[in-house]
Amino acid sequence: MRQYLHIKGKNLWRMCACLIIGIALACCGEEIAGIDQPSTAKAGDILPVTVHVNIPTAGNGGPDYLVLGILVPKGWKIAQNTTITYTSPQGDGTMSLIPDGSLPTKGGGLTWSAYMKRTFGLAGNLIDDMEWVVFQTDKPYAHEGGHTITGDLHIKMKVGADGNNTLVKIGYAITDTGNGLTSDQFGTYYSQKSTDCFEVTGGTGDLIDFCNPQLTVLDPPKSLDNDIVTLTFDGAVVNTPVSAEPEVYLCATAYTSDGKTIVVCEQTAKTLMKQTTATSKRYQITFWPKAFFNTTDAQTIIKMEYHITNKAGTSRVGYGNTDAPFVYTFKCG
Amino acid sequence: MKRIYQIKTLLLVMMVAVLATACKTEKVLPQKEALKDITGSWQVIKATRNGTDLTAIIDFSGFKINFTSTGYALVNKMPFLVEQDGTFALDDPEYPYKITFTAAGKTPVATAFTYPIVNGKRQLSLTFSPGCANNSYVYVLQKTN
Repeated sequence: MRQYLHIKGKNLWRMCACLIIGIALACCGEEIAGIDQPSTAKAGDILPVTVHVNIPTAGNGGPDYLVLGILVPKGWKIAQNTTITYTSPQGDGTMSLIPDGSLPTKGGGLTWSAYMKRTFGLAGNLIDDMEWVVFQTDKPYAHEGGHTITGDLHIKMKVGADGNNTLVKIGYAITDTGNGLTSDQFGTYYSQKSTDCFEVTGGTGDLIDFCNPQLTVLDPPKSLDNDIVTLTFDGAVVNTPVSAEPEVYLCATAYTSDGKTIVVCEQTAKTLMKQTTATSKRYQITFWPKAFFNTTDAQTIIKMEYHITNKAGTSRVGYGNTDAPFVYTFKCG
Repeated sequence: MKRIYQIKTLLLVMMVAVLATACKTEKVLPQKEALKDITGSWQVIKATRNGTDLTAIIDFSGFKINFTSTGYALVNKMPFLVEQDGTFALDDPEYPYKITFTAAGKTPVATAFTYPIVNGKRQLSLTFSPGCANNSYVYVLQKTN
């Protein structure tokens, strides 16, 4: 009897050991080991990026294709301006854009782009004018053999195609077509990393800063004077000349296509910015620029300069917490 | 022998008669779908921009679209498919799924729309982009009383 129990215990230990080794082998799916990316580039440049990946193949499965998502400003249109090749001990090849019609199996009906956005969001960026552009390898690989494939993804993408100077944390995510963005008892089958703030210089447009909290943000980020825009002033970012004020107002000047300037700088219900919640220190105003500035049908507003003022109109805050105005250019690109 | 032929002919005639009357064509009563009449004054009861609800943060109460038998008129304008008054057309008066606005002197602008009955009232739901093409707005309109 004692001997029997002893054998049973031995088996238990063996089972445990096997399980631990099994988990260690199968643990963790695709992993981004590192990203080599310059910290700055000129608008319109082709940015060379290398993403180093590790792909453990212990958990049997597949063959699946490796998937790479890149998070960038929409205006860069990298879906049309990117080539990706890869090198690995299992062979080299190219990666191509996954068409919207090809849905991830575990994405609940979302496209790959929407699936990544739901999972990773803006990956540390603050303005929702970015997109995940998703690519996959031309050849699949099997999850077997118990070894780790190491490979490099060589990305060449055009940055700043919209001509805007930009500060942005470019995001990278990898997974495979079989598992998608899931985890199970063997580990996590995806990996996401964002770079530090990357800078595009030499552009002709306004600076768009996705990285740092802004005193004011306009939503939608790209709009025309015939859109309805929401301007948010975030008084919590830094102390400003209007910080102690109970009410803040918008004081703005529109520049029109026919060379006119229209000033709306009154402290009335029309320009009052409402606090989003009682203590948020975030103040919002939503308006239709054409009506706000009362333009004629023939006039188009090209840009708007503005300050945030107190009720008396005596204190005001502008760009970078200075007296210079904030500038917003009405354009779609 | 002749008798057998007669019986065969009789059988044939009977068979043809039976077959001919076997399937009776049902007369289907034409279910006439009511023509969709959108004439009247409509106001926005809900508006979204790129999915964000705008109804509470911008005042749509003054904005109305008056559809008449001859055209439409905009009252207290807001961003819309068209900026001027003009004429409109439904692609199919019984089962419309597209509405075309033609502002005076402008090219026609068409958009898909739905026409559901919610809480016993007809609603018109229109999707369009008055500014940048990437910014999509949905107005849900209901007839004013």
